[in-house]
Amino acid sequence: MAQWILKLAQRLLLLTALAIVGALLCATMVRFAPGYGVDERDLDFQLSQSSRDAIRSEHQLSGGLLHYYGSYIAGLFHGNLGTSAFLQRPVAGLLKERAPLTARAVLFGLLTAWIVASALSLVTLRWQTWAVEYSATALTGFLIALPTAVVALLCMYLRAPVFLGIAVITLPKLFRYQHNILAQAHTRPFVLAARARGVSRSRILFCHVIPVAWHPLAALLGVSASMAIGAAIPMEALSDSPGVGQLAWLAAINRDLPLLTSITLFVTLLTIGANFLAGSMQESQS
Amino acid sequence: MTAQRMLRLLCRATLLAIFGLGLFAGSFTHYSYAHQFRELPNTAPSAAHWLGTDGLGRDLFTRIVYGTRVSLVLAPTAALLATVIAALLGGIAGLRGGWLEKIILASTDLSMSLPLLFVLIALRALLPLDVNPILSVVATFVVLGLVGWPASLRVVWAAAKNLRDSDHILLARALGYRPSQILFRQVIPCLRPVFLAQFWISIPLFILTEATLSMLGLGVMEPLPSWGNLLRGSEDFSATAANPWRLVPLVVLVLTLICFQFVFHRSEELA
Repeated sequence: MAQWILKLAQRLLLLTALAIVGALLCATMVRFAPGYGVDERDLDFQLSQSSRDAIRSEHQLSGGLLHYYGSYIAGLFHGNLGTSAFLQRPVAGLLKERAPLTARAVLFGLLTAWIVASALSLVTLRWQTWAVEYSATALTGFLIALPTAVVALLCMYLRAPVFLGIAVITLPKLFRYQHNILAQAHTRPFVLAARARGVSRSRILFCHVIPVAWHPLAALLGVSASMAIGAAIPMEALSDSPGVGQLAWLAAINRDLPLLTSITLFVTLLTIGANFLAGSMQESQS
Repeated sequence: MTAQRMLRLLCRATLLAIFGLGLFAGSFTHYSYAHQFRELPNTAPSAAHWLGTDGLGRDLFTRIVYGTRVSLVLAPTAALLATVIAALLGGIAGLRGGWLEKIILASTDLSMSLPLLFVLIALRALLPLDVNPILSVVATFVVLGLVGWPASLRVVWAAAKNLRDSDHILLARALGYRPSQILFRQVIPCLRPVFLAQFWISIPLFILTEATLSMLGLGVMEPLPSWGNLLRGSEDFSATAANPWRLVPLVVLVLTLICFQFVFHRSEELA
């Protein structure tokens, strides 16, 4: 038990360190991005020098990079993620408002993609005929060749919910990974032995293949979460869904760098958290 | 000849034809991709304009062939950049081991944990957005190349690590070969199939990512065409429904990617 708690604490520490490193990297990119700290008001010659100095200090340009890091992290610990330059609203409030919508879409999208991909993988392994195999490969091959933005447009055209689009984008990659993992487990010697002894195909699949493939499948959860979060950005941006994905796109289009930094931190935490959960699940099973 | 072989041959021929179309774009059309026939906006296909014109009166066929050049020439360039980075870092990590390996793998894990599209959008936004079209192409594909290496690195690292412990490298060391000799005569030739597989796998991924970035307005800028920004026109559903030939860029894109999947299926298996 103590060992498990120690392991969990180590993982949580690593999670926090990775998130902070991610945030600092993003803050560094923002700090050195061309045009950082440029404010239209700075060009107004009617303003006095002290007013211009005040504007410049708003952007924290006076200190060096370490000072910038310090103030950024101090702000983070106080829950201050800054103010969006484009929307003129606190970033924390914006994230709080939009995160549930994205989380719901990603969760339902993932769930749908997992159910359909698992069903397809099981069907192709259970009935190993060329017709089933080719149909599944053709379907996923076609879906994989569609750009995410085109799927988003199709969803908008068909008035389909955002989560369905996320599922369509995640499904083909997920199917290929799942199919490969299950097919590999299917070639193991004990499966061959079971087949030689006349055990039914369904029994082999559910009693011998899936229990063996369970660990790598659990690890796929983290990867699929990352894919789904990535898919949420164009989906929300093009189908005008007011989630974090649309916010990220707006921040990018309007070069709202404080907003972009905080969204990066948020996405880093979310994906690392998903990977952490998947890793913990895998470990608890073993 | 098996059906699978025939299909692969057909896909190869299609890819060659599409590549040829892009590379020799000037031979297939005598219009400029930016020339606007102001009196002919949204026209149907005709002898003068094989695929009609867009909303600004630009010849759609011309824009597709020049867009093919942009997408199909620059995606391999970005793939080459990503593969070189993956080969260098993965090779160093796999062959040297120790703390360097740990640092490289930790940074790879961090990069892999973030969605590629999100990182690309964030990085592209940090660069100026109102740049000239040529610069936007370079920026888009350089960013793609600089960000798209982590998955390839993992594969190269695993192959290099296996090679480090192999008998023939041990023998080369025992025979007194210098590290540079081992690298160029033993390691790189052995890893070449892995590098090639990673290169071919990255191309369709970068074509797709460029298309999505350009559709979001963060990729190749107008008036320079690319498959992505040509698809931006399809956002207007009523115009697309009235002029279905506007979907030709999508058909070409999907066809190319499906052909890539069939032709380089073996590379994927190898990787």
